Amino acid sequence: MSQSATKVRVAVDAMGGDNAPDEIVKGSVMAARQGHVDVTLVGQQDVVARCLSEQGASPDLVRIVHADEVVVEGEPPAVAIRQKRKSSIVVGTRLVRDGEADVFVSAGSSGAVAAAAATYLGMVDGMERPTVGGGFSSFAPNIVVMDLGANVDCKPHQLVSFAIAGTVYARTVYGIENPTVGILSTGSEEGKGNELVKEATPLLKDSGLNFVGNIEGNDILMGKANVIVCDGFVGNVVLKFYESIGDRAKVWLMGKYPRIKGLVGYMFDKVLPIKKLSYEGEEEGSGLLWGIDGVVRIAHGACHAEHILHGINAGRKAVEVDIVGNLKREIAHLRAQGKLQ
Amino acid sequence: MSVEEQVKDIVSKIAHIDKEIMSRDSTFKEMKADSLDIVQALVAIEEQFDIEIPDEEAQKFRNFGDFVAFVEQEVAKKG
Repeated sequence: MSQSATKVRVAVDAMGGDNAPDEIVKGSVMAARQGHVDVTLVGQQDVVARCLSEQGASPDLVRIVHADEVVVEGEPPAVAIRQKRKSSIVVGTRLVRDGEADVFVSAGSSGAVAAAAATYLGMVDGMERPTVGGGFSSFAPNIVVMDLGANVDCKPHQLVSFAIAGTVYARTVYGIENPTVGILSTGSEEGKGNELVKEATPLLKDSGLNFVGNIEGNDILMGKANVIVCDGFVGNVVLKFYESIGDRAKVWLMGKYPRIKGLVGYMFDKVLPIKKLSYEGEEEGSGLLWGIDGVVRIAHGACHAEHILHGINAGRKAVEVDIVGNLKREIAHLRAQGKLQ
Repeated sequence: MSVEEQVKDIVSKIAHIDKEIMSRDSTFKEMKADSLDIVQALVAIEEQFDIEIPDEEAQKFRNFGDFVAFVEQEVAKKG
């Protein structure tokens, strides 16, 4: 087997994102030049070829697969992937399905990428919907909050699937052997919370996971549980609130202590790690779409070349550590214990 | 297995719907299937039967029975 045949093959959506195609192609070329992956750019042939030429990339460095159409941000995702079957998102996803790529990375419409992945790659048996999650940078990097916005309305058993994905995440990414799982609620005692929490709690208790009960908002940054599950509505509100804290604290302190506002500004911008609080997927520029029967990473729409480079390498790592296989094995293990249907 | 049974199998698996509650009169709303469920089912059925279900036709489906009838018709055309 040639060295090239052993490399992870990454398909990248050249047309998706605010800075496409230039930044996407630039990041892809950077990854290809590192030599650890085979990169395929999916998009309009002439546009991608011109960008590759501008990067000084030789024609054999990166393969191009032509895709006529582009899904535009704001198009209804489920409709878009049906009506634009020659879009870079659908064509790239199908490269993974057809065994021509191991990973798909896209900075295009998150909803469309998730819909295409669920439709063409399918879900891992036991996972109903794609989910995104991760740690909160700076203050709580070794926790996983799941879901962070992909599923705003959830059924109780979906929270169990998030807990399983979060457990695999904490084990494979953080190296925590038996991660604790909590459910985000309005009180620490069992029985507190909304209907979703009340209905999901017995399922989580009986799931075979290391469930520790309710987690309140003030427990998140304390790391009271390694994995914290909630519906995507709550998760996204918590995430956006967290992201706003650094900037708001800076503005407040500069107003309260105007004499030292230069120092405050310097501390927040240069010294303290809280100028931009976010979840790690956002910080790194892309995150794994969990639950899909294949490796798909969604990059931030405003991402730049370095984020695409990171997303490609993170996708390679996900293949190398067999993240999807780990998820399947965790579900199979829980089922073998009679814990899951 | 009949076309209807195959379609029912695919839709129930994708949308996590109990086959017992699926009838030809059931609407997708009644079955609590969302837009992603429907798109996943359409694509899976197109691939299973090697047919095409145009969006303009799919939008006319009032219930599960209309969906099944269209698939049966397309499968019959193929002989």
